[in-house]
Amino acid sequence: MGSVILWIPFIITSGIENCSRQPPWFNGLELLEDAKQNKHVLPSGCEGIDILLEGGFRIGQLTEIVGPSSSGKTQMCLRSALGVADMNLGSVFFLDTCNSFSSNRIASMINQHTATSVEEDGETRVKRIMSRILCQSVYDIFELLDILRQLENRLSYQEKSNGNSIRLLIIDSIATLVAPILGSKNSQGRMLTISTGILLKRIANDYNLSVLVTNQMVGGQRGHLKPALGESWKSIPHVQLLLSRDKGSTICGISILKHTTIGSGRTGKFVIHN
Amino acid sequence: MSASIAMAESSRSGAHALLDGAQTAWDMLSEEQMQKPITTGCEELDTILGGGIQCKAVTEIGGIPGIGKTQLGIQLAVNVQIPVQYGGLGGKAVYIDTEGSFMVERAHQIIEGCIADLFEKFEHRKQSLVCPYILQPNSFLANIFYFRVCSYTEQIAAVNYLEKFLEEHKDIIVVDSITFHFRRDFDDLAMRTRVLGGMSSKLMRFTKKHNLAVVLLNQVTTKFVDGSFQLTLALGDSWSHACTNRIILYWNGNERHAYIDKSPSLRSASAPFQVTSKGIRNVTSNCKRVRMM
Repeated sequence: MGSVILWIPFIITSGIENCSRQPPWFNGLELLEDAKQNKHVLPSGCEGIDILLEGGFRIGQLTEIVGPSSSGKTQMCLRSALGVADMNLGSVFFLDTCNSFSSNRIASMINQHTATSVEEDGETRVKRIMSRILCQSVYDIFELLDILRQLENRLSYQEKSNGNSIRLLIIDSIATLVAPILGSKNSQGRMLTISTGILLKRIANDYNLSVLVTNQMVGGQRGHLKPALGESWKSIPHVQLLLSRDKGSTICGISILKHTTIGSGRTGKFVIHN
Repeated sequence: MSASIAMAESSRSGAHALLDGAQTAWDMLSEEQMQKPITTGCEELDTILGGGIQCKAVTEIGGIPGIGKTQLGIQLAVNVQIPVQYGGLGGKAVYIDTEGSFMVERAHQIIEGCIADLFEKFEHRKQSLVCPYILQPNSFLANIFYFRVCSYTEQIAAVNYLEKFLEEHKDIIVVDSITFHFRRDFDDLAMRTRVLGGMSSKLMRFTKKHNLAVVLLNQVTTKFVDGSFQLTLALGDSWSHACTNRIILYWNGNERHAYIDKSPSLRSASAPFQVTSKGIRNVTSNCKRVRMM
């Protein structure tokens, strides 16, 4: 009995030591240091959008692009992928759920923009940029969760400041994965959606990459369209952008629905070139 | 410890060592450029589509009744079988019929028209042509695999069964029309969205895995927007995201036109076409240039 009482302070002090070895919380100064060193801003590839978002997509944040069908969401994703790969900021991982990834389109976008350096000719530039964009097709929410867990495992072994490390993760579009499971009486669909959202945010924060997700719109009350995936998903993304495009025009309007530092309601425009 | 070192080394060798199944865009580019599209029979339509209906993509074709959707569906099921020597894919077609609008006599007529046109085009090369007996209407008909579905459960079952059926080589699946059984008999709209979402995911998976084209024919409905009734494709906004490309067929005066409504890689354009006894062909009355929107 006496020896057990002697063990108790030992257990408590070793527990406190454990806590100090892996602190579960940071103070404000450490967070600021981390933000300055790691959480930069990735350009979106289009100046108008960069001006609207005061730089672009922030690393460590989950950005959601919402819009009706054919409003330019995939084009915006392809353009950001191109921008990040071109400026050697890192690799891009594109998870494609609706077969909308078109490497021909990326190649034609590269050829339209003038080369940044004179020494590099068109062919090597295309190859350099496109070798940094990885694409994988996903058709199931469970496949997506599996891929994200594998990604997390691999990233935890990778060096932090490797030039080849993934900086931008794009999922186009998450609504097609969630649509078959959401809406029934049980809440398993919502549970899976929110778990995916939380996993994406954790990956973005811990491994210093930016996550871009596209979402669809569904009919709401009185015929207005609202973002799909429901009320519970609404609080998950850090930034929500709404795209719109008139039929037949190449100009898309973009407006901020939700942002961490910029007021919502600001709008901008960008053009989709052919 | 050694396992983590090994993993770190493999991941240092490049980002593409990261995950199995991921491809770089550069590899996909060379694959995409070697992909042969399926011609529609009308050259102007082929031009705006970038050569024809693309494989590895789900294309939705919608229009009002009588515009020629079924004709286009049958034409594509025939054109996919054009032998490689004549510039086609030499493939087979799966035709899932939900409305009962597939007429074998009309398919026979379209096949004869297609063969006649092929012989006309390749007349100068007649000596070097291989096996002209392959180009018999019966052999074309034998390569169209026809499923008739009469309810939505049969439709879902047909799509599930296709997985096994596609293990032998097929190149196009035409579903005519995908929306017919889902527009009635469904009280629970949320379940309809879920079921359709699951079906479209499966079809997308087929196109990628088996390298084929999926063509879905859709009907139109009216929607009350901004105080007026407008024609939109059936099944609502959630279904509008289930395809890769969308083509809308419409009447422009006395002519049939096709308009590209949604595509990740093609620009919006419209082209006229004609439905003749031989199938879908160019408009021949006067030379109309393709109008770019």
